[in-house]
Amino acid sequence: MKKLTSAPALFAAAGAFLAAGLLLAFLYAPVDASSMGFSQKIFYYHAPIAETALVAFGIAFVAAILYLRDPDPKWDRLSYVSVRLGLLFSVMVMVTGMIWGKAAWDAWWAWEPRLTTFLIVCFLYTAYFVLRQVVEEESRRATYAAVFAIVAFIDVPITFFATRYMPEGLHPVVIRAGDSGMEGSMFLSFMISMAGMTLLLAALVRADVAAARLKDEIDDLKTRIGG
Amino acid sequence: MSIEEGAKFVAAAYAVILAVVIAYYAMSARRVSALARDVELLKAEVEKREAVGSGD
Amino acid sequence: MGFRQFMAILRKDLIRELRTREMLVSMFLFVMLALVIFHYAFGVDEDTDLTYFTGGMLWVTFIFSALLGLNRSFAQEKDEQCLDGLLLCPVDRVTIFFAKMTGNLVFLLIIQAVSVPVFTLFFIERSYLADIGLFLLVLLLADLGICTIGTLLATISMNTRARDLLLPIVFLPLIVPVLIAAVSATTGIFADGADLGDLAARLGFLAAFDAVFMVAAYGTYDFAIGE
Repeated sequence: MKKLTSAPALFAAAGAFLAAGLLLAFLYAPVDASSMGFSQKIFYYHAPIAETALVAFGIAFVAAILYLRDPDPKWDRLSYVSVRLGLLFSVMVMVTGMIWGKAAWDAWWAWEPRLTTFLIVCFLYTAYFVLRQVVEEESRRATYAAVFAIVAFIDVPITFFATRYMPEGLHPVVIRAGDSGMEGSMFLSFMISMAGMTLLLAALVRADVAAARLKDEIDDLKTRIGG
Repeated sequence: MSIEEGAKFVAAAYAVILAVVIAYYAMSARRVSALARDVELLKAEVEKREAVGSGD
Repeated sequence: MGFRQFMAILRKDLIRELRTREMLVSMFLFVMLALVIFHYAFGVDEDTDLTYFTGGMLWVTFIFSALLGLNRSFAQEKDEQCLDGLLLCPVDRVTIFFAKMTGNLVFLLIIQAVSVPVFTLFFIERSYLADIGLFLLVLLLADLGICTIGTLLATISMNTRARDLLLPIVFLPLIVPVLIAAVSATTGIFADGADLGDLAARLGFLAAFDAVFMVAAYGTYDFAIGE
């Protein structure tokens, strides 16, 4: 079991699924019938990246709760690594989302729910790192970061809900970001890419957590030897 | 939008994803090699101290 | 017993501030100056209709004013080491949270009580007295959200190296949903009169936000206030 979920194995599996998803998206799924046309193909990676980012933040949320219950550094490492990866994926969501926006609506930016929510998410979790930066004592840092990771994750669906259902102006321009119903072949390609992205996240978490633990152990040794 | 124009954007999006993944991989590799270097330094230090200790 | 302690802490904070009124005066001056600046920033021309901006102007000002107040009240605590003294007493941490939160709420309400009439004088042409009850409800619910999140985060940020620099960074992304709801509700009341359907949704949202984060604060405040 350990072998199966090791980082290299996960990377390989992720690569396989992502490549398959890509092939299916371009060779199997039909071109979108709506006005988006060919640019809808971005969706096959854009949406899985978005869901994966949220999964990452969810992992951070659970790890943070576990840390508060039992202050083992391993939970803090998991939380920290997950937030970092979530932020990475969130940036990718924003960039691909903007490219899609330009292709679909001829506008690099629109204050539509998904883009706006992920923008705020980026600021939110950047704040997580600023917070970690300004606390010197290790256990205090981990505790505060955990509290913030919990509160931040709760805020994510709330923010999405707010941007979607309560636009600021009284006469909002709502751009429906193409949630057209998917037919079977599209759905399959999409699901395979989803699986691939999630596996990629798992692989990255594995690798990064191991590196983080190594770094902590090395820092430990350094202080003990350095005196 | 014609398929050619659309294809440009699609290609750009996937290229960005690939670029980010590669960049992250490069950063991680650099981090890991720094760690490996530290491990070497620490190993050398430990051997040095063992030599001193057994020399007495 | 918890209630008596709550009242004791609350009374201490209120009396201390009411005696010097430094923080209240600063917050009030900030709001006034911001309103003047808004006039010049948005419409030097006498004809410019700012009606649809009113909610935004009001809440941006209140949020930054609240940040001022939060920073001030916690910085004082930290400098005079009141918090350390408080922690030595056998008080439930959560009681401290609710006492501090209520204190901040009271200060914010005092500022708003004075600012809203002035704001109305400067920017509102239509009388909204008919909807005054609903307006006050929006005010209260949004304030509760601001003070809950604000008190929790201020407790954390005051214990860091960056102190009052950190608070806006962690606070503002989290408070965006409240801002969205409050602004659209307020602008609705000022501009067209209360639309009960829309308003009910926003009020419900604010109430839910408050409830969720009060529970979150209740669960995590022990860790935020730390050793």
